[in-house]
Amino acid sequence: MEILVSVLADTVLITLVLAFAAFGLAIIYGLTGVINMGHGAMLTLGAYFTWWLLDQGVPFVPTVLLSALAVGLVGLAFEHLLIRHFYGRPFDTLLLTWAFFLVTTEVIKIVFGTDFRNVADPIGGDPVNLGIYQVPTYKTVVALLALAVVAGTALVFFKTTLGVRVRAMTQNREMAGLLGLNVAAMYKLVFGFGAAMAGLAGGVIAPMFAVQPYMGDMFLVRSFFVVTIGGIGQLLAGTLFGSFAIGGLETVLALFSDQVIAQIAVFFIAVIVLRFRPQGVFSGR
Amino acid sequence: MTQHVNSRRGSSRRAVLKGMAAAGVATIASPFVVRKLAAADPIRIGVLSPVTGAWTVYGAAHSRGFELAVEEINAAGGVLGRPIEMVLADYQTDQRLVVEHANRLIRQEKVDLLAGTFSSADRNAAGPVVKAADKLLLYPTWYEGQIKDYYPGVCNKNIFMFGPEPTQQVWPFMEYMVKNHGNKFYMIGSDYAWPKVTNLFTKEKLAELGGETVAEVYIPFNTPQYESVLRDIREKKPDIIFHSLTGSDTVNFAQQFHAAGMNKDFTYWTVDDEEVVTSGLGPEVSAGHFVSFDYFMTISHPNNKAFLQRYQAKYGADALMNTVGVGMYNAAHMGALAIAKAGKVETAAIREALKELEFADAPQGPVKMRGLDNQIVVPSYLMKVRAGWTSVNDMFEEVMTVPSVEPKDARCDLPL
Repeated sequence: MEILVSVLADTVLITLVLAFAAFGLAIIYGLTGVINMGHGAMLTLGAYFTWWLLDQGVPFVPTVLLSALAVGLVGLAFEHLLIRHFYGRPFDTLLLTWAFFLVTTEVIKIVFGTDFRNVADPIGGDPVNLGIYQVPTYKTVVALLALAVVAGTALVFFKTTLGVRVRAMTQNREMAGLLGLNVAAMYKLVFGFGAAMAGLAGGVIAPMFAVQPYMGDMFLVRSFFVVTIGGIGQLLAGTLFGSFAIGGLETVLALFSDQVIAQIAVFFIAVIVLRFRPQGVFSGR
Repeated sequence: MTQHVNSRRGSSRRAVLKGMAAAGVATIASPFVVRKLAAADPIRIGVLSPVTGAWTVYGAAHSRGFELAVEEINAAGGVLGRPIEMVLADYQTDQRLVVEHANRLIRQEKVDLLAGTFSSADRNAAGPVVKAADKLLLYPTWYEGQIKDYYPGVCNKNIFMFGPEPTQQVWPFMEYMVKNHGNKFYMIGSDYAWPKVTNLFTKEKLAELGGETVAEVYIPFNTPQYESVLRDIREKKPDIIFHSLTGSDTVNFAQQFHAAGMNKDFTYWTVDDEEVVTSGLGPEVSAGHFVSFDYFMTISHPNNKAFLQRYQAKYGADALMNTVGVGMYNAAHMGALAIAKAGKVETAAIREALKELEFADAPQGPVKMRGLDNQIVVPSYLMKVRAGWTSVNDMFEEVMTVPSVEPKDARCDLPL
């Protein structure tokens, strides 16, 4: 019983944390079709901005919001200067975003140095002991925040005119343009928002991981699996299911084997799923 | 040191960009010009450093340790009347590039010997190159020791080891740890050779002391989540977490271990978290961890004080040094001493001169290169991370010191 509860709780937490880390990619890749190899660098940048602002004495909550804003602005600039000329050319954007990763990483090294940086747990203290499960406080807060961010975005996406426009844009770019939507502005908005979400996630997860110039790499491949497994463009169900399949499942599998085998098994299952459902589990297209 | 490389590359690139034949000729011709103008031909040492890529965090101390030593040697008049020139190559933590750069340094840059590489995988990649070209490689990192199976990465007469192996890094403190903190070990490490062999040695000694290994877990590189391991640790109730994760995984694990409130329930002994990693952990997460190595910035040996003064004067008061940087520092000085002793810059002569060579000014205390298996004899320190540390300068406190530790004989065809 105790094991069951703790495995379940761990699975939920891991799924949500991974969903948070992958969400920026789900937006950019899912909605604009840009294969964003710079997603990891955006996470890393968010974490470094967070570290730096905290170091300047800014409190934690404004810090992560400012980090999200800053990475969002970097994303906007990148979109405006380069990406907007290459929509609909996936391979070109793949190279461009890879270049973004390389340049950003080097700039981070020059500006912030190559040493590990430490972001202290803003809540701190011991986990809350519920008897059958020790609740890690900060991770739980992150998970709840992830849920709020993903659900909030989905709400905008499905229930507002803005959402309708974005969906129209992703479904048929030309038609949406002909019907009078400012497609260029919509793409810019979506790209910037995706970048900001990656920055937010990077800042929020910084206290849980090593902050170093290649921090985002850990989540880059996993995020791509999350998005493709869940279904490209499936922001809510797709991201959550994909995160469970890539993150949560590993914890369950690790119960029966060791970590190495569990990780291999997860990616093996992911490949099998994509073989039979290349459009992703939740995609209707 | 990156600037060094960049300026070299930058200038040649600028020259090429001009796109003029004359510029091209000048670039090609410049080495000859420099050689003729220099008072004496420099001794060239190729340094393979992970300045970018996964081991970036170690790159700075790694290359700076060597650079500082070269500067000291040249300030004192060089070797055999010739200055030493360090030719830095960034292999980007990529083993393919280790091979490429090692070959380039030897064939094109015409270096006289090589130093560096960081992980065992990097060194093993360089092994065949230095064997074929008959050049020396001075290797600075703590590692798993030499076993014949991995020849020519180890057990190679051309490779000299300046970092400690497990019987030097772990064994001296096993009795103390078992006696004071319990004999049930939970071993967690990254999934590759160094942690596995380190654990093999540790288990051997632990069995001798009547202890027990309750679990031995290996984690793939770049793993973000440790929940299942933490649960397993709680269930198996060990006394000591014996830890050999590397890179960012060690930080990820320790942070989640601490967030799960487990620091107070278990003794944490790591053989990986030197200054670089512990800085990444921060004072809260790392407080109370035991760490063992041949060098720490906070050891009280008089050599260290003088060394750090010179180091921090050059690189700043917050610059990190660690066991690897000191390995590189010793490698440069001992390489120079060996060349001086040999009287000529020739592989076989330097190799013979390095054997049994002593270096009294090593930052960790006097060290000596064994002739039998090319393994350094070093001091070994068990430290505890000080609660509430503020910088690398007050990070660790000494728990136990062994001034000189002979390694177990390498499992090679000896003597090398």
